[in-house]
Amino acid sequence: MKKFFGNKLAILVFTLPTLIIFSLMVFYPITQVFYKSLFKWNGLGSGSFIAFDNFLRLFDDKLFFLSNKNGFIFAAIITVFQLLMATVLAIAVSTLKMKGRNFFRIAYFIPVVLSVTVVCQLWLSIYNSDYGLLNRFFETIGLDYRQNWLADRKHAIYAIAIVNAWQWMGYQFALILAGIKSIPTSFYEAAQIDGATPVQAHMKITMPLLKETYKFCLLISVTGGIKAFTEMFIMTSGGPGTSSYTLTYMMYSSAFRSNEFGYGLAAAAILVLECLMAILVINFVFKSEPTVGGE
Amino acid sequence: MRPKLKKIKLSSWFFKGFLWFYAFISLYPLVWMVLYSFKNNDEIFVSNPYGLPKVFRFENYINAWSQYNVPKYFMNSLIVATATVVITITLAMMFSYATSRMRWKGRNFVRTYVALGMFIPVQAVLIPVTRMVQTLGLSGSHWALIIPYTAFNLSFSTLVFYGFFVGLPIELEEAACIDGANIFQTFFKVIVPTVTPAIATLSIFTFLNAWNEFILANVLVLDQNLKTLPLGILFFQGQFTTDWGAMGATMVIASIPTVFVYTLFSNQVEKAITVGGAVKG
Repeated sequence: MKKFFGNKLAILVFTLPTLIIFSLMVFYPITQVFYKSLFKWNGLGSGSFIAFDNFLRLFDDKLFFLSNKNGFIFAAIITVFQLLMATVLAIAVSTLKMKGRNFFRIAYFIPVVLSVTVVCQLWLSIYNSDYGLLNRFFETIGLDYRQNWLADRKHAIYAIAIVNAWQWMGYQFALILAGIKSIPTSFYEAAQIDGATPVQAHMKITMPLLKETYKFCLLISVTGGIKAFTEMFIMTSGGPGTSSYTLTYMMYSSAFRSNEFGYGLAAAAILVLECLMAILVINFVFKSEPTVGGE
Repeated sequence: MRPKLKKIKLSSWFFKGFLWFYAFISLYPLVWMVLYSFKNNDEIFVSNPYGLPKVFRFENYINAWSQYNVPKYFMNSLIVATATVVITITLAMMFSYATSRMRWKGRNFVRTYVALGMFIPVQAVLIPVTRMVQTLGLSGSHWALIIPYTAFNLSFSTLVFYGFFVGLPIELEEAACIDGANIFQTFFKVIVPTVTPAIATLSIFTFLNAWNEFILANVLVLDQNLKTLPLGILFFQGQFTTDWGAMGATMVIASIPTVFVYTLFSNQVEKAITVGGAVKG
């Protein structure tokens, strides 16, 4: 058996393809992100070493702060919207005795499986200032609330975040619903015997027991906000002006539009660090907190 | 499995109303999209923006299919997504088998190394991956997408398969060994069939990822003939006011495969993402 499990040839055949592809396409690139961010590099040749100049320039760049602020707004909106909706809907679906629960499950999840370009294109038509569904809707109910949703410097980022929040709510809904299903019914029966109302029962039982699930949901939406790109790329091209830039967008336009690859990679390096920070902080918060709401 | 909470009732009218309300928010934009894919511009803009089309204009679909390169995009997406699924699943299974059941030095290190990919956002490595694809001479073929997609799906798949393999009883291999099978035969004939549920789940998951992927495709594919559907849809961006119906039709066509896969395998898809939850957290 030892010989069987120690077959060197088999080990090589089984692991090498994965190791090669992973190293070439994920590991080596991530080392390059950090290494090349120390260079002034226009994408040709190997560039010249300038140490941390790219980062210093970044910290001096208004656009960098705007990008981070937008990432933060984006993350805040999708986190609040998705967690709140997903929690309420998952509790309602799992508790109510009604036919067609599967209908709701599928209805909430379908946007998740759509391509993000389809979703963005669809919302472009919804937000369209002349013919869009949203303005038509306000018109029909008699409200004078016509807006050019995506052309407003201050509010474009909110309109964009709503699109992401709408598309991915179902993902968190499915996670939380699966979590609730894994909680034994007897817990709720006991709570009821003790005289707890259903809402209390959920606050005291569901929430604490789903700590891991909530941690994961939070991770997804916070890092999703930091990484945000596609929605701005398709719906506003980072605009109006630069008002809906994010870190990824900044990286993209530095590298692929103004050929400043080193500068773009510095933004990418910050992006990676911010994501890691978010993961560490969220893990820390969820670890140190004493069992939520439990006695 | 499903808890029957007979005794606990919510203030049910409010919650039922809310369920329907959100179902409307979630679905109506999609219904609207499907409806306008059957309308002409006049109906969409002026006479009938909300309701059912007066005449179902199937010619929108015919136009989209014949004038806007949609079959090409569709085939490209299909090729890329299918190849990504097959390669990812095969490699991930072999890799996880070697790291979970075979005995050799460094297997834990190697396993962790690949798993760390979970923490690396695709966005961050966009630039170096683009360079790598050019250096390897993959641009200009479907491999330009298949190889990076595979790389980015490997971390998750290896973790899931590892979880499955680690729990299998050792007797599986012992029996096969006694019967004179070598390790490759054992792997493909004995081990692989035991994890078919995981294969199914991960295949669906990877397929959805690859079918919808946009960020990498956006920088890796420049050739019009190799564009996948998510890129193809952007073609309408500059000029969509001219033919909304055909744009709607294209969007519906692009969505049919994933919605179809999801409604067929909804439990499996949701299982896949909750497995993801357990692993990532």
